[in-house]
Amino acid sequence: MAGALLLAGCGPLGLRRQPAPPPGLGAQSREQAALSGDGRLLASLIERSGRSTVLLQDRRSGQVLPLPHLRDHQPHSSPSLSWTGRYLALLVQRGPQRQAVLQDRANGRLLPLMLPAGRQPQRLSLAADGRRIAIELLDNGQRRVELFDLSGLVEPDLAPGQRQSGGGAVLP
Amino acid sequence: MTQPPQLPPPWRRRPTALLALSLSLLLAGCLGDQLRPLPGLNQRLAQLGSSHAPALTGRWLALIAGPPGRQQVQLIDLDRGLPVPLVGLNRPDSQPLSVAVDQWGERLVVVRQREDRTELVLHRRSLMASERLPIEPAGVPRQISLSADGRLLAVEVSRGGRWQVDLLELP
Repeated sequence: MAGALLLAGCGPLGLRRQPAPPPGLGAQSREQAALSGDGRLLASLIERSGRSTVLLQDRRSGQVLPLPHLRDHQPHSSPSLSWTGRYLALLVQRGPQRQAVLQDRANGRLLPLMLPAGRQPQRLSLAADGRRIAIELLDNGQRRVELFDLSGLVEPDLAPGQRQSGGGAVLP
Repeated sequence: MTQPPQLPPPWRRRPTALLALSLSLLLAGCLGDQLRPLPGLNQRLAQLGSSHAPALTGRWLALIAGPPGRQQVQLIDLDRGLPVPLVGLNRPDSQPLSVAVDQWGERLVVVRQREDRTELVLHRRSLMASERLPIEPAGVPRQISLSADGRLLAVEVSRGGRWQVDLLELP
């Protein structure tokens, strides 16, 4: 793959640059990149049929990973991944509302994350273990970040060294 | 001989209790995915005033907070519920736009507006030092994402009217 492990050079600070994996759809604009905690997966937004759509890829191979449950809820925005990328949190469109959702790629479940009434989600960030989420909300015209607990809804997605017996599931 | 009065069946005896139980079960089903706020931490965050651009790792929450024109990067230690000092990062002549943090709260990457340019900065908290990360080919950075180990950075960059994603391995 064109994007695999190509290092375009070293900068003055010892930076090594890699091209982002190709979307497989030719050169096109992509926005709002989000890495999984282990850096293996990259989510970003591309335009598909004029609608902003999340694309999930293996960073090294460029392989596109399927997200069938998100197909009908564009425009997407603000993707955020857990440690292995088992969980993908993002904002989707459901009717007239922007809604935060959590996609569990291990079982295909798409979990709507219902916010208290009157608060509109603008942007989100999922903790690497998936047990908390920070959401930027618009409430009476003011932007405010709030934290929410997801531990009752998800299994933790832990780094290998943090694995507990019976802990986070391994992706198929 | 009079018969003792017969008690009505339980569902007739306490209709309001049963109704309340049914309603609560129904609500529990409907609100099964309702997010549970973390009130203690959210109260602390509210004290920062207006805030945006959150970046969350396990223990650390980085965000941009403060009144318009005087917003700063804040790093909150969620275990203690308190902001930690970011010596040498926030400057009076710059406006932060986006922030990312690693899992140890050691490395922060910030996109900020300073004078007439938008720059990308890596801050190491233990060293209390910030350095500018060059963007090559030249472009204007916007949002960023850092891997948990702080070694890999994804930067959204505007070049020639198109948004691209650069991946940088940090030293």
